[in-house]
Amino acid sequence: MGRQYEIPVGAQHISLLEPLHFKFTTENERIVRTDANVYYVHRGIEQACCSKFKFRQVSFVVGRVCGLCSISHTTAYSQVAEKLLKIEIPKRAKYLRMLVIELDRIHSHLLCLSHVAENSGFEALFMKTMQYREFSMELLEAVCGNRIQYDFSIVGGVARDLKPETGQLILQRLKNFMPQLEELVGIYQHNWTLSLKNKGTGVLTREDAMRLNVVGPFARAAGLAVDVRNETEDLLPWKEVGFEMITDTAGDVHARNMIRLREIGVSIRLIRNIIDGLPESALLTETKAFPDGEATVRLEAPRGELFYYAKGNKTQVLERLKIKAPTFSNVAGMVHAFTGNEYGSAAAIIASYDPCLSCTAR
Amino acid sequence: MKTFFNTIGNLFRKPVTTKYPFEPTFKPDDYRGLIGFEESLCIWCRRCEAVCPPGAIVFSQDMEGKQTYHFNRAVCIYCGECVRACPREGALFQTAEPAPCALKAENINNGWNKLFDEAIESRERYAAEKKKKAAEKAAADKAAAEAKKTMEGDEGMNPGNN
Ligand code: SF4
Ligand code: SF4
Repeated sequence: MGRQYEIPVGAQHISLLEPLHFKFTTENERIVRTDANVYYVHRGIEQACCSKFKFRQVSFVVGRVCGLCSISHTTAYSQVAEKLLKIEIPKRAKYLRMLVIELDRIHSHLLCLSHVAENSGFEALFMKTMQYREFSMELLEAVCGNRIQYDFSIVGGVARDLKPETGQLILQRLKNFMPQLEELVGIYQHNWTLSLKNKGTGVLTREDAMRLNVVGPFARAAGLAVDVRNETEDLLPWKEVGFEMITDTAGDVHARNMIRLREIGVSIRLIRNIIDGLPESALLTETKAFPDGEATVRLEAPRGELFYYAKGNKTQVLERLKIKAPTFSNVAGMVHAFTGNEYGSAAAIIASYDPCLSCTAR
Repeated sequence: MKTFFNTIGNLFRKPVTTKYPFEPTFKPDDYRGLIGFEESLCIWCRRCEAVCPPGAIVFSQDMEGKQTYHFNRAVCIYCGECVRACPREGALFQTAEPAPCALKAENINNGWNKLFDEAIESRERYAAEKKKKAAEKAAADKAAAEAKKTMEGDEGMNPGNN
């Protein structure tokens, strides 16, 4: 047995984007054990949502839980509040919510891919991916009026309508993006240098993924077909707009890259279908009721299943709100998948998890 | 080899970035910008203040009951909730104008907190004053009514006694 070294990474580290602390125990450069500490950013959002803010204001507060999947949080909260109010939202609002969620998924996946490239030591590809990502940010700005905090879903529906010109702009930009996506797929799939860092590293098998209850692209790359969009139909009609499940079997960093790239393709198709089949109806269901009872909601955020639980007591302020972010579900799998890899690959593996710690610790 | 020519080619390609702030960046015409207020249309219902998630709108009130609108662009999240809540079309509206940066001299955080508390206090003072006046008026009315009643009673009793 060789000598063991403990290498701390984080909570502030050059290759980490999030306040996350890993302690790697290595032996001859191989990681034999990993400990993770994720609670560095406690912001007390759940408590604030149940004391300081009225239930209609909470959808703007939870949008600040995460900058990248702001729309997933606001939508999930709006849905759970609508369940408590026992209202059904108009069909157009549902479609517009799906539209923004899918646009958001494109930009989030491209961001993750660019960071995998960067952490694998491929700076030029990082720049290129970021360059191609810009179109999705501009589209989000055109749809929601803001690049990052969309504030698009509100309790009862959506805040803004989609203008026909904006719809045309989206279709046009997506058409321009298609060749760029193909180029990216080509590079991520076939680039030899990148494959040295990505193929066969950070492997999580299907059995482990199932045992450790992994969600999102992380699980789908390991061959586990879990996607909330495939399971629930009552809140957002995903199948109606042509959702298709994407899985891979390898479970390594490369497979996760490919899953994300292929999911971008699916998202583009969904967006096209949504814009083509956008139904005409009101945007908002008005009600004067107060939230009452308990409800839960699941929603597929870019990183996996997002879970909301809320309890109301017929007043303006909720009694309890619980948020379970996808990264929280993935922590066990994340720690597990490091074992047996070289320490030098750790940075790329971390990026490929696409961790969002500020969501996890809220 | 292809990479090599690509690299050479890149030297002559136009940069992807724009020279902001000297050149404009992409901005949709319905960008969520500053909130405008039209005093002549406002009915002073304070609904906008009640719905605003971060508390960027507050109304102060002087002793005559006249209200003044205060808005803090650094606290506002430009969500547009106030515009949707306003019952008077046009009293509040969202422009596409991005908010200018805050200057140190404005003391936009601490100054605002103070202003906010003072505004609430000023309203409480007005409400208390109003209540006091109302109570005084009610007491005066009551006294007057009682005086009248006793007078009426006296009048009523007198014939009965007779
Ligand atoms: S836009 Fe939103 S944050 Fe700004 S003043 Fe109106 S309600 Fe408040
Ligand atoms: S909601 Fe409209 S009318 Fe009421 S106080 Fe605010 S600006 Fe005035």
